[in-house]
Amino acid sequence: MKARHAAPLAAAAALLVLPSGLTDFWIFIAIEVLAFALYAVSFNVLLGYCGMLSFGHAAFFGVGGYTAALVIKQSGLPPALAFACLPLAAMFVSAAAALVIGFFSVRRAGIYFAMLTFAFQMLLYTIALKATPLTGGDDGLTGLKPPGILAQPVAYYYFALLMTGASLYVLYRVVSSPFGYTLRAMRANALRVQYLGIDVRAHRLAAFVLSGAFAGLAGAIFALSNGNVFPGWLDWTASATPVVMAVLGGTASFLGPAFGAAVYVVLEVLISGRTEYWSLAMGIIIVILVLLMPEGLTGLWRRGIVRPGARAVPLPTREAR
Amino acid sequence: MSSPILRVESLVKRFGGLVALGGVDLAVEAGEFRAIIGPNGAGKSTFFNAMTGLLRPDSGRVAFEGRDITGEPPHRVARRGVARTFQITSVFPDLSALENVQVALLAHARRSWNLWSRARVLGTERAQELLALVSLATSAAKPAGTLAHGDQKRLELAIALAGEPRLLFLDEPTAGMAAQERLEAIRLVHRVARELGLSCVFTEHDMAVVFAVATRITVMHQGRVLAEGTPAEMRARPEVQQVYLGETA
Repeated sequence: MKARHAAPLAAAAALLVLPSGLTDFWIFIAIEVLAFALYAVSFNVLLGYCGMLSFGHAAFFGVGGYTAALVIKQSGLPPALAFACLPLAAMFVSAAAALVIGFFSVRRAGIYFAMLTFAFQMLLYTIALKATPLTGGDDGLTGLKPPGILAQPVAYYYFALLMTGASLYVLYRVVSSPFGYTLRAMRANALRVQYLGIDVRAHRLAAFVLSGAFAGLAGAIFALSNGNVFPGWLDWTASATPVVMAVLGGTASFLGPAFGAAVYVVLEVLISGRTEYWSLAMGIIIVILVLLMPEGLTGLWRRGIVRPGARAVPLPTREAR
Repeated sequence: MSSPILRVESLVKRFGGLVALGGVDLAVEAGEFRAIIGPNGAGKSTFFNAMTGLLRPDSGRVAFEGRDITGEPPHRVARRGVARTFQITSVFPDLSALENVQVALLAHARRSWNLWSRARVLGTERAQELLALVSLATSAAKPAGTLAHGDQKRLELAIALAGEPRLLFLDEPTAGMAAQERLEAIRLVHRVARELGLSCVFTEHDMAVVFAVATRITVMHQGRVLAEGTPAEMRARPEVQQVYLGETA
């Protein structure tokens, strides 16, 4: 057993026993954390490893959510079968959307990339809003629930844990693979990487599709726990969520964004239960955290302020543009 | 007479109304160590970029080992066996020195599409060998961004060599170094190129460096080749001294 595996394994063990100590309300929150953890980590494959700030990532979370809703409600399959198809269907449709959006977007870098992803997301938002027969328009698609025993919060929690855990494992393997190394090198110096014989645009597109597929799965997981899918999932403000979660947790570590997602979701619940100005309070907290900890919460850990330890991924450098 | 490893014919590149390259010809024989010199703005960097795919030439032809590579994107040029280094040191600062070379080795082995293997353990032996070749063996674990400037330049050489190129372009390999460092740096490149049977084309401002290693010298001025010959011939040419040698000597 290597020391660097200790923390993730302890976290996994804690997540396995977690529901026994929680009310149904908090189990639903835990499911939300799992879905958004996957969403934030998949988003950070682009931001943290490729240096690409997608400002339209809600597109894939939303497409995943709508795909899940449509498979459950419209496919005509028996509920259990529809549910079994759901993860792959959500990933496939989101990946297809990411392939089209990415094909045009990864040609540009920096702010232009961000604007292109933003524009495509608004396009999908409009479709969700206006294609009423398919998407339910403004009302969204409601009354979703998983079949049979999975409709119980505890059972669905374990389903979400399995999906998120397996996905994070896959994503971790990817960022640790030769492909992942290539992405990190591209972030630092895409020009140099070209001269190693690497087709930079193709690798960026692949990372974009992969990221979109897992964001879609996260959307599907959340859709069935939430019970509803609304056009607001695809609204541009929704695209800020994974950005905030990733930055909050720390973009330089693989699990940082997952941690950021947990803190974000729980803070939102705690604060919104006390004041209707919860987004104001959240804004203040985020400003403070970012100013004090530019590398996010996991940055503290990695720097040895919380605990000295091995780091999984080197810190990104500002001059590496 | 064997055919040259690199043949460039009437290469032209314009930026708007400015003619950056006004029909440049170049033939480099295998095993050569060719210096391209000229004052700032002579078009050396544009020439490099137009030969290696970063810029698409407006007309003219570039052939590597007899095959036309004109206008091919950099990654294709690289896969054919052409490597280059940059004027501004271009290592991957947040990867370790070893990882820098590993990335290059993985790319060369066409493994960049492998999404599952653990890259950390791949190619480490060869990467260590390459680091040792440029005397960086003891710095393998250090983040490249923390290495001294000269060490980063040598790391860049190791990255370029990982692709087992047959032709290496070096854009001002000694830029930013102290005078004594420069000679050491170019001699290292020279020695390694000899060992590996590499042909090199390099730009350089320091004439001591140029005359220490170059087999032939091409002098560029205002986007054209002004003169070409052996170092001894170039020393003797008055117009060359006037344009270039005089101003730095």
